[in-house]
Amino acid sequence: MEINCVEVESKKYPKALKESFKKLVSSLGPKKLYYKGNWDEKIFQNCLAVVGSRHLTYYGKKATEQLVTEVAAAGITIVSGFMYGGDEAAHSAAVKCGGKTIAVMPCGIDLIHPANQKELYQKILDTGGLIISEYEGDAQPQTFTYIQRDRIVAGLPKAVFVTEAALNSGSLISASYAKKMGKKIFALPGPITSEVSKGSLKLIKEGAEVVTEAKDILKYFDILPSAKKAGKNFVTGDSLENKIIEQLKREPLKADELARLFVIPVAQLGTALSLMQLKGFISQDSGKYYIN
Amino acid sequence: MLIKIPSVANLGLQTIKVDIEINLANKGLPGFEIVGLPDKAVDESKERVRTAIATSGIDFPAKKITVNMAPADVPKEGSIYDLPIAVGILSSVLEFPVPQKSLFLGELSFDGSLRHTKGAFLMALFAKEFGFINLFVPKDSANEAAAIKGVKVFPVENLTQICRHLLKQEEIFPVVYKQVAENIPAPVEFDMKEVLGQEQAKRAMEIAAAGGHNIIMIGSPGSGKTMLARALPGILPPLNEAESLEVTKIYSASGGIPPGGSLILNRQFRAPHHTASLAGLVGGGSKPQPGEISLAHRGILFLDEFNEFPRSIMEALRQPLEDGYLTISRSKQRVVYPADFMLVASANPCPCGYAMHPKKNCTCNPNQISKYQKRISGPILDRIDLHISVMPVDAGEFSDNQKNSDFLESSEKIKQRVVFARKKQEVRFSNQGEKKVIHCNSQMKNADIKKYCKLLKDVEEILRQASLKFQLSARSYMKMIKVARTIADLDNAEEITVSHMAEALQYKPKYHELS
Repeated sequence: MEINCVEVESKKYPKALKESFKKLVSSLGPKKLYYKGNWDEKIFQNCLAVVGSRHLTYYGKKATEQLVTEVAAAGITIVSGFMYGGDEAAHSAAVKCGGKTIAVMPCGIDLIHPANQKELYQKILDTGGLIISEYEGDAQPQTFTYIQRDRIVAGLPKAVFVTEAALNSGSLISASYAKKMGKKIFALPGPITSEVSKGSLKLIKEGAEVVTEAKDILKYFDILPSAKKAGKNFVTGDSLENKIIEQLKREPLKADELARLFVIPVAQLGTALSLMQLKGFISQDSGKYYIN
Repeated sequence: MLIKIPSVANLGLQTIKVDIEINLANKGLPGFEIVGLPDKAVDESKERVRTAIATSGIDFPAKKITVNMAPADVPKEGSIYDLPIAVGILSSVLEFPVPQKSLFLGELSFDGSLRHTKGAFLMALFAKEFGFINLFVPKDSANEAAAIKGVKVFPVENLTQICRHLLKQEEIFPVVYKQVAENIPAPVEFDMKEVLGQEQAKRAMEIAAAGGHNIIMIGSPGSGKTMLARALPGILPPLNEAESLEVTKIYSASGGIPPGGSLILNRQFRAPHHTASLAGLVGGGSKPQPGEISLAHRGILFLDEFNEFPRSIMEALRQPLEDGYLTISRSKQRVVYPADFMLVASANPCPCGYAMHPKKNCTCNPNQISKYQKRISGPILDRIDLHISVMPVDAGEFSDNQKNSDFLESSEKIKQRVVFARKKQEVRFSNQGEKKVIHCNSQMKNADIKKYCKLLKDVEEILRQASLKFQLSARSYMKMIKVARTIADLDNAEEITVSHMAEALQYKPKYHELS
């Protein structure tokens, strides 16, 4: 099989990556980059790294989907590390809206890790994205290769967007590389009580820019957002359904909590919830109901 | 001198007549021999009989005694033949006639007294069917046998007493049946009103109890799954007469009825640990014994930490879940035990257990979670009608008013609704003719669902939409109809409406997607 490889001396080697590592004293850039997919230099022009916890909350997942969809649709390449959780959410949001995305693997180029994301892997290639790695063959990922991978994730793009991150997480490692490379850091604000928001909140405290809408990121790239998405408006004539929608807009709740709140039998509430799910107003995830 | 005494042998729940022939020969060396496939316990009855007769103050005859148990090819087990053998020998020594149409059962103690012996109830059933009138059983086992009307049950305390009775010196009076409350106590550990929150889970329990549906609870450790399961017996309807006989038979055969016990009237709750062996759970052994699933017949089989059960045990549950009985085949015999139970299972969402926890973080990766969940096979999940997730409850969430037990429904109140719904089902399934196999909604097969649960157009449309949206399998589709039927029964409605169906959809499969 043909081995696709770009060496550091090559003209094809991403300039941004080379520049990034010049500013870094502690570590060197990859000498070789193995890749799968179609190597087109344009893909490296406007890159944003999106990194996040392996254990995203529902909020983190929703926010990533929403923001990345708009950013990727505007033509920015999404770079991430192909791990499950935050990385997966970023890649798949980009793939879904027809954007381009680069997955930086912590393992040999021939290996798909984690293996259960085979489908996503294929989709990235199908939509003109790239899979890259500095390791050849089917080398297994090691603890240190994840961190080595993080430096490439930080090195390729112009800015890094941290969605949800716990303290001492890989996402913060990417962020600290990016900071040393002099790159812009964006962070998603989250509840102060959430373990997986403590890292991103710490970044905000240290000067990262808060992202509340895609425009915050697009402005930095000097790109105008595509047509503004209208907020969903759920029309329903049912008063209980309206009450449920109002409540879920504030925060996701369990069926039991809703029943107690409205003081109605859980049987009646269950009926309403099922019908609303069928109408596509709300969805359920690990026991809680969310507004769509 | 040849004496014939009838007794019985139990093969599983089937009882057959055994003729005990005792020959006391004057010729030959004195001795005591038992033939006719006796097991170790039967063979050892020689020593018990010999000693018991001696300690009762009667000289043991110095003759060559041979006991034959016919038919000779059926294995005889247990200690129930002590009394018939002793009575046979004594009738020769003391010269009293063996009463007609009588059966004897009981284990002897060395001092001549009789001990509680299993199988008295089964023998009484047999006696009634085959026209035996008098039953002589140990005093402690007399009450369970007396539950069968139409036979006289004589409670025997010791050998001397039965000899005096048979010699017409002192009469033993037949026992009058008395239902004892503390027989096998209703295993209700919690009342539903003690369970704070969990409104939806409680509602699911109510539906499960009303329709006899299998249910699986998925939730983090400490979310109250076990408590809910243990509160379930409290809302189940009592056994009806026919069911009570079935359950008592199984318990009598396995020696589960305590001394002085009576008919079992409440539904049993069995909670075997996940280290239970296959034979212990589904029944078996070289002499097939009923397993936990049969002891849970017409009751609840609670399998806590369902994914920890070995695959072989889970797959063995498939046939009884479908058919309501289990055939145990061994080279020497084939035994059928009923096993029509309601399966209540609980499982964690992931290996660390906290995947659905609102506060704690799960440390498992998707691969581990998927592996863990796949330990419960699709075919088993397919046979479970109700799937619920149970989230931990923070007691602080509740106002004093909500904690107040008046505000929470008691098991007694829920039970009334369950009993009502079961009555409706009884009426629905009353015209099945001879072979009455359906007792509750959960037992309907696809053909029955088409017959008994005709769906209105709009209800069918909702279900069709849902099966597309939630990717329900064909089997899940049918399960939803069964559950909706039970919800309609609880609501005293003749037709399944949209709201019944919509509520049923709340309990659709959640574990790993089945399609």
